This record gives sequence, C-alpha cells and structure tokens, in this order.
Amino acid sequence: MKKVFKIFKILLSVVLTAYSIIIIFFLFFSDKEKRYDFASNLQGNYLSQSMFEILKFQNPQNDEIYFEQSVPYNKRGDHERGFELLDKAVEYNPRVYLGYRGYMKLRFIRDFEGAIKDFNKLDKLTPNVIDTPWGEDIDFLRGEAYYGLGNYKKAIVHFNQSIENQGEDWAEIQSYVYLGNSELQLENFQKAINSYKRGLTQSKFVCEAHLGLAKAYKEIGEIEKAKEHILKAEKHYRYKRNDPYNEFLNEIYKTDIVTLKNDLGA
Amino acid sequence: MKSKTNIFLLISFLIALSFTAWAYYQSNHKVGELTADKNLDKDFQLCNEQRIYEYYNYDTDYIGGKKQIKNTIFNDLKSLNFKESGLMTFRFVVNCKGEIGRFRVKSIDQYLKKNEVSSENIREIEKALIKLKNWNPGKNKYGAHDSYYLLNFKIENNKIIDIF
Repeated sequence: MKKVFKIFKILLSVVLTAYSIIIIFFLFFSDKEKRYDFASNLQGNYLSQSMFEILKFQNPQNDEIYFEQSVPYNKRGDHERGFELLDKAVEYNPRVYLGYRGYMKLRFIRDFEGAIKDFNKLDKLTPNVIDTPWGEDIDFLRGEAYYGLGNYKKAIVHFNQSIENQGEDWAEIQSYVYLGNSELQLENFQKAINSYKRGLTQSKFVCEAHLGLAKAYKEIGEIEKAKEHILKAEKHYRYKRNDPYNEFLNEIYKTDIVTLKNDLGA
Repeated sequence: MKSKTNIFLLISFLIALSFTAWAYYQSNHKVGELTADKNLDKDFQLCNEQRIYEYYNYDTDYIGGKKQIKNTIFNDLKSLNFKESGLMTFRFVVNCKGEIGRFRVKSIDQYLKKNEVSSENIREIEKALIKLKNWNPGKNKYGAHDSYYLLNFKIENNKIIDIF
C-alpha cells in the first residue's frame, strides 16, 4: 500500500511539473505568431498585456506588438500609456503607424495640431502614395483636423483634395458634408449648397447634408427649400453618422433638427 | 527517499499553484478597470460587481448624446482655471439603472504626458457630472448592464474648451 501511495505521489508530482512546464513553454517558447494572436484576441486583459510584455522582451523592436498593446489603453482612456506605446510603434515603423497615430490624435483626443503633424510627416515619407491612415483618405483626415481647429479655408483645400484623390463618385460622402459645413461657416452659402448637393447625388439618405442644406437655404431666405430639407433630414435621421467610440466633429443630433424645424415652422 | 518524494511533490504543487493563481488573476483583471472605494464612491452601487462592460460594446450613451452632456454641464465648468493645456479623461461606471459613479481621472498635457490636475477642479467636474441624469445604460438582448463610460475635457489657455 505504501509503495502504491509513493508511486501516486511521484506520478502527481510529474503531472504538476508537466503542467508548469507547459505553461512556461506556452508563455516563453511557443510560436510567436500564435502568442501574438492569443494576446490580441484577449484585448485589454492583463494576461494579454503580460504576453505582450514577454513578446516585447524577446522582440524589442517589433512595432506591431507596441501598436496592438496600445489599443485598449486608448479605448479606455489611459492616453498617456496608450500613446507611449504607440510612439514606440511609430519609432520602429513610421510608415505604417504615423497615420494611425494621427488618426488616434484626431478622433480620440482631438489633438488636431498633433494629428496634422503626423499626417504631414507620413506624406513626406511616402511622396508618391496617397496614404489612407486607418482606411481613410489622408486629405479627408487633414481636412477634418483643420475643421476642428476652425481653419475652414485649409479644411476646404484638403476636402477638395480628398475628393480629387478618390474621384467624385467614390469620395467619402462626409467630405461633401464637411465641405458644405466649412463653406457655411465662411458664409459662402451658395458654395455650401453645391457641396451638400454633390454629396446627395451619391446617396439621398445623408441626413447631415439635408440639415446643412436647410441651414444654408434659411440663410439665403429660401424658406420653402429649407423646410423641404429639414423634413428630409428628419426622415433620414436613422442613417446618421455615428461611432461607438467617439463623437464626430460633424455629428448631428435630433435636437439640431427639431430646433431648426421649429424655427422654420416646418 | 521518502522526504525527497514529498519535497518533489510539494515544490511541484507550489509552482503549479503559483502559475494557476497568476493566470487566474491575470485573466480576471482588465486594463481600465475601476475598483470600488467606499471613501470616494459613497453609496454608489453596481448591479453586478463581477462584470462591468465597456461602453463601446454595449452602446452606453446619454440621451441626446455628447452634445447634450456638453450643453448640460459646460456652463458650470467654464469658469474653472487650469494650470496647463491638455486633456482630462474621466472614466466612470453607468450602472444598469442609469446611475453614474466611481469617477476616476487621468490627465495628459499637450505633449501627451501625464500631468496633475488640482483636486478642487476634479471635485467641481464630478459635481457637474452628477447632474447628468438621463443615461441609457449599456444593453444587450438579456437586458441592461453596468458599463464603463469616458468623457474627455479638453483644456486650452487655462480653460475647458471642449467636452467629448
């Protein structure tokens, strides 16, 4: 009986040791890609962050790891840590991450000047390429940043450039809305109307463009047309542009429509 | 020999236990989680302390959106003075009943490095936040849940110039 008990203890010790060895192997020696995917899929979890730390220790200049590790910090409001990690990704691979960092500065922290600097640096690094930081045209994003700064003239230059980059029929529809909004700010009402209408040729459901048209027509005294478009803005409000993370600079709200509708007596 | 077997078993058990405890702790904690503090949070209660979701997965929102938040509290805050330009980020919980609490702050300067904000200003902002009563708690098909939410306060020329 004693011998059986002893064998049991040895077997148990072997199993426990094997268990620990498997964990160590997985954490430190298994395929890097698999560990990276594991950490990415557990985004925000401490285990994910620890795995990134191990991967960084073993691959200290791998930009992708710094980028991926930064994501939950920026989504969850720890921008100091998020941008500290992102700066490393940019240091090791500026062509890939300058655009993303600019996008994050623009959309997540409204650091418009910082965003423009990053976009311009990226543009200089890639002279023959129209960059698309995080999937969006670089001039659309630069236009948005200048719009945020209240520099509507420069915003217009970049939104027009963005439309040229992408082609009239393929351009981001919101570039026409921003273009219209910028002209509206500069009190170029007819230009604003033309811009919104260009957007509406792509899709009649762009409630932001209808709201802009209602404002512009009101300004030039064409009240019936203003009423027509405020009602269309209301009808298509469910298609409004929004994002789970951030409010867009040109985001519209129900109250904007109701207020103008009441003003117009529509 | 007997003692060697026991030592081998004990050591292998302790190492395996340590790894398990480490993995358990690591997989049960997340970046950005806010732990309760009776002194700070007073009587704010969550519906389920074990599971607090993120705003972006469960559409946590304020009725009327960020614009309504800004309209409600901006006037109360525009007289506050700050030492440095930068961004203050308030992270807090919207519980399943649409109440808010557990406010925590992180702040960066214009170079995106950590900075300090006076506790008096933080208190004033918290007081203003408490006035926000129309929250849509995070929801899925099983009902409403506790979730985290973020609000950023952009500071330029010593004043709050934007809330988003």
